[in-house]
Amino acid sequence: MLQAAEKAYCEALLALKRKDYRAAGEFFEQAAPNFAQDKEFCLLRETTRLLLVVKQKLGKYENEDTIVIEEAFSNGQETELL
Amino acid sequence: MNQQAVLKSLEGVLESFLEQVVSHKQPRLQVLEGINRLDDIARTSDKGLEITDSIGDWFAANNPLLSESRLRPADISRIGMILNEIKGRLDLGDEAAPATQKISSEIDRWRQTGTGHEGRKIVLRRGPETAAPTSRPHFAEEADSIDRFRSFFERARNLFEDFAGNKKHLLSALDDSLSSATIQKNRDALILSSFIIYYLKQNGYKVDPYVQRLRKAQELLKGHPHVTGG
Repeated sequence: MLQAAEKAYCEALLALKRKDYRAAGEFFEQAAPNFAQDKEFCLLRETTRLLLVVKQKLGKYENEDTIVIEEAFSNGQETELL
Repeated sequence: MNQQAVLKSLEGVLESFLEQVVSHKQPRLQVLEGINRLDDIARTSDKGLEITDSIGDWFAANNPLLSESRLRPADISRIGMILNEIKGRLDLGDEAAPATQKISSEIDRWRQTGTGHEGRKIVLRRGPETAAPTSRPHFAEEADSIDRFRSFFERARNLFEDFAGNKKHLLSALDDSLSSATIQKNRDALILSSFIIYYLKQNGYKVDPYVQRLRKAQELLKGHPHVTGG
């Protein structure tokens, strides 16, 4: 089976593909001890880390930390609540 | 430009860079996704869960990779090893379900395809470790050797955990370790194998066939770039 660090690196790349940068950052950290010498790994890890910091800073400006609640309607029809 | 605009611009640049990397690596990511999914299935089979459907779906999704020759020899080797582990856990007795038998024959087909490729090697490589320059090389080297051995010991322990898995006997773990040393040119696996062989010998096991395999792996590693399991 894949070693834990290999699997974490793989999961990090797949998370980048999904644009789930938070998950990617966590997986990169898990893989880091085994790939510290890998230049491509370091580049992707640092870029992701920087992007997360930037997003965090922007979140403070844009109040993105609030929860957005959307209502869903079946068949696109709004129904009255009894 | 205010700070928010600068950050927004930087966010766009970074996201664009990562998107382009992903786009450039898309074919490779598809392969990695397949290997990762297979690894997940193997881990599921570790827990005794039914995997016939999952592995069937995996073959259906990943057969094109093989026919389109998109797999590197190392990928085929890695997939072969995982399939080998999965097959070892399939119940292939006289009353095995047709679906299970089909999966077994499909695994054999993959493994045969894998052996048809030359130059199998490990996916991950790392250069030799070097000590930092110092004005006291002798003492530094001594301390460094302890750190390096500690690091090796940790990697070897992790390797052993991978090889041992749910195996029922240490000989099975040794078999995997020797395969990794031979096929993947993994030096850590070579040293781990010799360690296990010595332990078995001390406990009265007949180890001659394994010693021969160890020597063969050692010959293959001579002059080969330093490769570790890490």
